[in-house]
Amino acid sequence: MKFNSTRYLPLVVTVGQVVIFPYYIIWLKQVSLTFTLFAWFFASFSFAAAWGYRIYQTKKNKERSFLFLIYAGMGVVYIVIGFIKNSYEYLPYIVLPLQVTLGLLQGYFRAWHSEQDTYHLHAVHHYLIVGFMMIGFSFVKIISPVVFITIFGVLLCICGAWEFFRIGQLRDPEKV
Amino acid sequence: MQSLSKLVKTPWFLGCLVLIFVAVVMWNIPIEKRKYGLSQGSLVTDYTGLLPEHIERVVTAENRNDLQRIVKQANENGKKISVAGLQHSQGGHTYYKNGVVLDMRTFNRILDIDEQEKTIHVEAGATWEDVQEAIQPHGLALKVTQSQSIFTIGGSLSVNAHGRDIRFGSMAETVKEMTLLTPEGKIKNVNRDDPDEWMKYVFGGYGLFGVILEVTLELTDNDLYTIHTEKLKTNEYESYFNRVLKQPDTAMHYARVSVAPSSFLDEMVVINYDHTGNKNHKSVLKKEEGVRISKMALDAGRKGGTLENLFWATQKRYIASLDGKEITRNNAMRSESTFMEYTKPGRVEVLQEFFVPVESYDEYLTDLKDIIPADDKSHDFKVHNITVRYAAKDNFTTLNYAKEDMLGLVVLIQHGLKEEDITNAESLIQSWTNLTLEHGGTYYLPYYRYQTKEQFKSSYPNWQDFQEEKLRKDPNQVFQNMFYEYYVK
Repeated sequence: MKFNSTRYLPLVVTVGQVVIFPYYIIWLKQVSLTFTLFAWFFASFSFAAAWGYRIYQTKKNKERSFLFLIYAGMGVVYIVIGFIKNSYEYLPYIVLPLQVTLGLLQGYFRAWHSEQDTYHLHAVHHYLIVGFMMIGFSFVKIISPVVFITIFGVLLCICGAWEFFRIGQLRDPEKV
Repeated sequence: MQSLSKLVKTPWFLGCLVLIFVAVVMWNIPIEKRKYGLSQGSLVTDYTGLLPEHIERVVTAENRNDLQRIVKQANENGKKISVAGLQHSQGGHTYYKNGVVLDMRTFNRILDIDEQEKTIHVEAGATWEDVQEAIQPHGLALKVTQSQSIFTIGGSLSVNAHGRDIRFGSMAETVKEMTLLTPEGKIKNVNRDDPDEWMKYVFGGYGLFGVILEVTLELTDNDLYTIHTEKLKTNEYESYFNRVLKQPDTAMHYARVSVAPSSFLDEMVVINYDHTGNKNHKSVLKKEEGVRISKMALDAGRKGGTLENLFWATQKRYIASLDGKEITRNNAMRSESTFMEYTKPGRVEVLQEFFVPVESYDEYLTDLKDIIPADDKSHDFKVHNITVRYAAKDNFTTLNYAKEDMLGLVVLIQHGLKEEDITNAESLIQSWTNLTLEHGGTYYLPYYRYQTKEQFKSSYPNWQDFQEEKLRKDPNQVFQNMFYEYYVK
């Protein structure tokens, strides 16, 4: 774990996911027509997360984990949410595949993260950081939950790009 | 067992589980209901949302004494009262600025069913659905009601609604007796021989002559009908309909006119309900069916162009598939309505109804082609559906829309909410109304007031009688609504 990106990026992603969760819930509540549908959206996320977790667990070459795609994928989902304008007719039909994609990627990421050396240290740190961040956010007036969701999406895309270039740096010496 | 356990652990198993679950959820995503009415924030609206207004308060009707007290107080302190049921009227008929709204939905008890006399005594806040559920076990059915059962009795009578039955005249004619809370706060039982002619003004009176508390309605048998459908050219309809009127076997009838670009106002489908000679005491009341598919088809049709052609072809196929099927009278009077929900932000879907004398129908539709474009795909103002119903001559109510035997064209329209979109819709509907007036017709008043006051006066020549009687019966003008303020006051 000599690379800073491997040390810090999973922490950024984990903390970010928890911090963005309340905003995401507010948005999801707005697009859900009933509590039943709201619960079904979560169920689809959960099933997809189990699927993603299992995909990583059964992976033969765990070194090739395509983390940059996972980060960027999650980022794109959050950015898409930020661009969705209220169109009540079809919105639930759009949200459902987004929930599945997000669940799948998060499950995969969680499975990868849990096998890293830093995981247990990150677990402690993320609780503390989230606590302090949420206190801070409680003093910020919400303009719209999608603003924070989009910002987090962009952050995840940056993480994805960072990870992509890190892989490139690792491979360069092999070419020599 | 081991192989099952192995299967469960494979990612593909979980993947399949997710896909199946997503498919089930996709199929069951509820169709959203338009949010409107008395409890939406500080402003009250009706179904269109085009006339938001601040009101003082909503009073839920608990008993007639409370209502009486509120009306008497309003007479003393100058308050204005409006009466609301399920608020499906679309022109602000159920509220007034800074007024009190009486929410009559809790006033919904079935009081008595007389099997021998074939009558039902019921509170006016009950829905037609409530009535149908009560009379179905007795083998009885309504004489006249709208094609859907989602409205309150008081509301339907206040707009003097009509339906698919071509034999029983107007809805007002089926009321034997009524209990009314008058504008002065008196509770009166009135019948058709009442010297003060309350029914003449209350039915089709849009809640301006008092609160309908209870009514006794005439009923008929829950007969079993055979559905008969046919495709026609529009110019064949007039003679076809006159033949149907002469056939005593046909109890109910309605038609649809094509608004698809390829056959715009040229093609029609007709649906008749013919007597089988049998009654049906056992069949259950149907629930809403096929809502999702109907909504998807309607949504496609709403886009206009080729999709609207496809929607019309689908409608024709569906209606043809009904030919020869049997249905009870009660079930024919409770069509699906949920699939029509339209909730696109920035747009509104409204109804309008134009009545023309039966003999003017052909020429009217021909002339209408000059006003409404056949293909509205690229237009903001879109016509989605035209249903044709018969409205028999009504000599009873004051604001009567059927001065002679009329065909009513119920039109479903969609337009944007920007100022220029509303102005454009107003202009088109006013042209449509002028054309209707030129053909000796009129337009229906429960919908949004696109029409001018002059068009109202031309359509309803008895409006002055209505106004004078309003001032006589309600001198303090306690009962008020947005409709009255715009058209009559």
